Amino acid sequence: MSEMWINMGPQHPMTHGLWNLRVRLDGELILDVDPEMGYLHRGIEKISEDRHYNEVITLMDRCCYVAGMAWEHLYILGAERALHVTPPERAEYLRVLCDEFQRLGSHLMWYAAFVQDLGLMSPFLYGMRDRDLVLDLFQSYTGARMTYEYMRVGGVRNDLPPGFTQQARKVLDWLTDRFREYDQLCLGSTIFRKRCDGLGVLKGPDAVRNGVTGPMLRAAGVKRDLRKDRPYAAYDRLEFDVALADGADVTARYLVRMEEMRQSVRLLRQVLDWLDGHPGPVVADRLPRWLGAPYAPVGAEGYLLKRQYPKGVGFAAVEEPHGEALAYVVNEGGEHPYRVKFRSPVFANLSAARTYLVGYHVADIPPIMGSVDVCVGEVDR
Amino acid sequence: MGPEDLQRGLASRLGAGLLGVDAFDGTAGRIRFDRSVALELFRAMREELGFGHLSTVAGIDWVDRREVVYVLWSDRALQYVLLSTFLPADDPKVESASGVWPSANWHEREAWEMVDITFDHHPDLRHLLMPDGYAFHPLLRSFKLHEPESLEVKVRHV
Amino acid sequence: MSSATLYSVSFALVHDVLFALGRAVGGPVGAALRNSGLITGLALLVFAGILLIASLLNTIVLIWYERKLLGRFMDRRGAMHVGYAGLLQNFADGLKLFRKNTVRPREADGLGFYFGPTAYVVTSIVIFGVLPISSGWNAGALPLTLLLALTIFSFAPLFIFVSAWSSNNKYSLMGGLRSAAQMIAYEVPLLLAVVAVVVVAGSFDLTTIVYEQQNYWFWGPLVVALIVFVAAMLAEMERIPFDLPEAEAELVEGWNTEYGGMLFAFFMLADYLRALVGSILVVLLFLGGWTLPTWVPSAATSFPLAGILWFMVKTYIVFGLFVWVRASLPRVRTDQLLRVGWNRMIPLALLSVFLAAALVTVRCVPVFGCVPSLGG
Repeated sequence: MSEMWINMGPQHPMTHGLWNLRVRLDGELILDVDPEMGYLHRGIEKISEDRHYNEVITLMDRCCYVAGMAWEHLYILGAERALHVTPPERAEYLRVLCDEFQRLGSHLMWYAAFVQDLGLMSPFLYGMRDRDLVLDLFQSYTGARMTYEYMRVGGVRNDLPPGFTQQARKVLDWLTDRFREYDQLCLGSTIFRKRCDGLGVLKGPDAVRNGVTGPMLRAAGVKRDLRKDRPYAAYDRLEFDVALADGADVTARYLVRMEEMRQSVRLLRQVLDWLDGHPGPVVADRLPRWLGAPYAPVGAEGYLLKRQYPKGVGFAAVEEPHGEALAYVVNEGGEHPYRVKFRSPVFANLSAARTYLVGYHVADIPPIMGSVDVCVGEVDR
Repeated sequence: MGPEDLQRGLASRLGAGLLGVDAFDGTAGRIRFDRSVALELFRAMREELGFGHLSTVAGIDWVDRREVVYVLWSDRALQYVLLSTFLPADDPKVESASGVWPSANWHEREAWEMVDITFDHHPDLRHLLMPDGYAFHPLLRSFKLHEPESLEVKVRHV
Repeated sequence: MSSATLYSVSFALVHDVLFALGRAVGGPVGAALRNSGLITGLALLVFAGILLIASLLNTIVLIWYERKLLGRFMDRRGAMHVGYAGLLQNFADGLKLFRKNTVRPREADGLGFYFGPTAYVVTSIVIFGVLPISSGWNAGALPLTLLLALTIFSFAPLFIFVSAWSSNNKYSLMGGLRSAAQMIAYEVPLLLAVVAVVVVAGSFDLTTIVYEQQNYWFWGPLVVALIVFVAAMLAEMERIPFDLPEAEAELVEGWNTEYGGMLFAFFMLADYLRALVGSILVVLLFLGGWTLPTWVPSAATSFPLAGILWFMVKTYIVFGLFVWVRASLPRVRTDQLLRVGWNRMIPLALLSVFLAAALVTVRCVPVFGCVPSLGG
């Protein structure tokens, strides 16, 4: 067959979102790829320029719909540096709790989507089932399952409900058992290994050059994890290992994500223990008044005092479930941020698509893109 | 690594093109440079100071001029560094970093379509998030959200 | 052996009804009613009607069974709301598809676009005409039923390719090509495995093959052939792990991407009809058909329609195994599938033929006793 371009997307089961992968094929062999983004562009950076600092949090949940908490945390860290606010210690631990549960939720969602791409039907539902437990936990203390609006500049909105830590520990125990089951279903299957070993290889130097971060980079043997390298929130007081693999292929990415989930469980146990023993305030006392009390509806017109505040630029880096996420928040003294810039890890991982897709078969695209873990919400913003 | 180290490491190579290095919270420092030495600075950062990873390129519109902020990361120093340069609003042009860090490709495409900053010698400077033929630059301050815009957008069919 | 066939039953039915009617009416009209040509024609129609309804009903129940089973494998319930335990869900789905507008892409080829699915579903139903369901209820008594069934079964790649090509869609075309390559590659081991059974049974007639299994079922001595047959059948049925012609992750829906409404329902129906045929063939060739082992008390087989009951039970168990495979295995890749087909399955199938020949020559199987009625 002669060469042809096909559009995988924007409505295609492989995309897991709304984007278009243009593929040039010779028969079933991939000669070239060109991702086309923007189908989910909502202009979050622009809208942020028209909102109060706490109102931007709402947008962050929509930024990445499987890792809302991580993005809230990212923005909050940037905004706090721009506004010169420090959160209390308990809020920092609560944020780690949110982050790690979000990592579990995001990776479980990834697991479900990834095995579905490979044609494994049952584990897809196992992944979704177990992710629901995590969402239930989120619901119990934020009131929402995906769009939380939980973090605030200077802390978090509310403390945990009574009995939360026991419930959370039960979920963690359940998940630990399930991880073993996941491994049996995937690594124990010869077909899985035959499909995934040596597929979508992206070696360390190539990955670094192309700006690839997160589990994809760690699967190439590069030990970079912002939680370890530039600890934020309470990560410097917690013990965990960076998940690493050196296969640089789809299996390696699977291994890294599974290990990260185990490490998240380990982190969460420590955080839950700490939270049990250290009650305290969850919001800083000295907040700029126009930021609003954490409980009050923010942005109501009469509530605002047009007050000048020391200018500042906040820069924050967070290890989001997909990789390195950055926020650059410019505060020019008004009640709105002057400019907010986000760096999405998936954005960079996708921009390198040519390096890990060309030369494989069209049937390999779903597993490879599945192992990239695309979340279009944060790519397009 | 701190601002002084950066200043020392770069001063001889860049001369007057290096406008200064400030301390910046959460990073090793912010290097302010003139756009004439952009490429030289990129090479020095990558090859001599070991900043092998370009995280993002951000364009900021300050109405009378435009700023480009590059965020770099070094695996050796485990630190971020910011590079910042100002461009005049009537001629917002700077050398592309994508020859030094391929990862700059998409970030520069985004900065170009959002803040109207032209990156010279960029291999593939076309729309990324906006449809082809989109005539506006949404992240400019002059692009008002509340004003109804009448747009005629040509969408490419492939 | 085959005393009453489905056709002879329907012939007798039409014959009796028309004769009674003709006698009651009398005159030239009555004589015309007793015309043998009319009786034969009507009998054929009744036969076809029974066949159609039985196979479609069976298929719909099969789909329900798969949905419930998959639900259990996936830790959920499957269809629950329409009818008892969702039994009528598929009728509702069918009605919905029937009501839908059939959209033909402007650039699609009209003839092939409609001909493909129609021929696909028709040939799939025709196979049931030659499959014996039980000793007294087999549909037709021909000497070469097995060959006929497999011949009609192997028409499918042609129709799939026609509908894929005429859809004028790249995904459809790729799916069609994959489907053709896959079915041709697995046709060979499938037939070779069947040859092993034929060698041992000494007949191409499915009824005879079943009766040859009265002392022992063929799955024991012909276990290699069974493995090859089941694997090749999975590929022919295009089910996970061999469902790559319609791998929804990469090819959207493969060769039926452009089909909607009733035409899609045709494909769906034909797929399950073929799955049913596959399960029935496994039961007939390897699991003793409608017979039960001799140690089973005769009360289990002596009530009316016992043969059909046991036959269906076996068929559904075999299909359940196919569903189990579907629920737990990932999909293989085209090149891997073809490599396994040509490099592994065919030698294995040849081995099974060799083993069958050895079995016939030696005439004795250590565990299963001696072969009673082999000529030679």
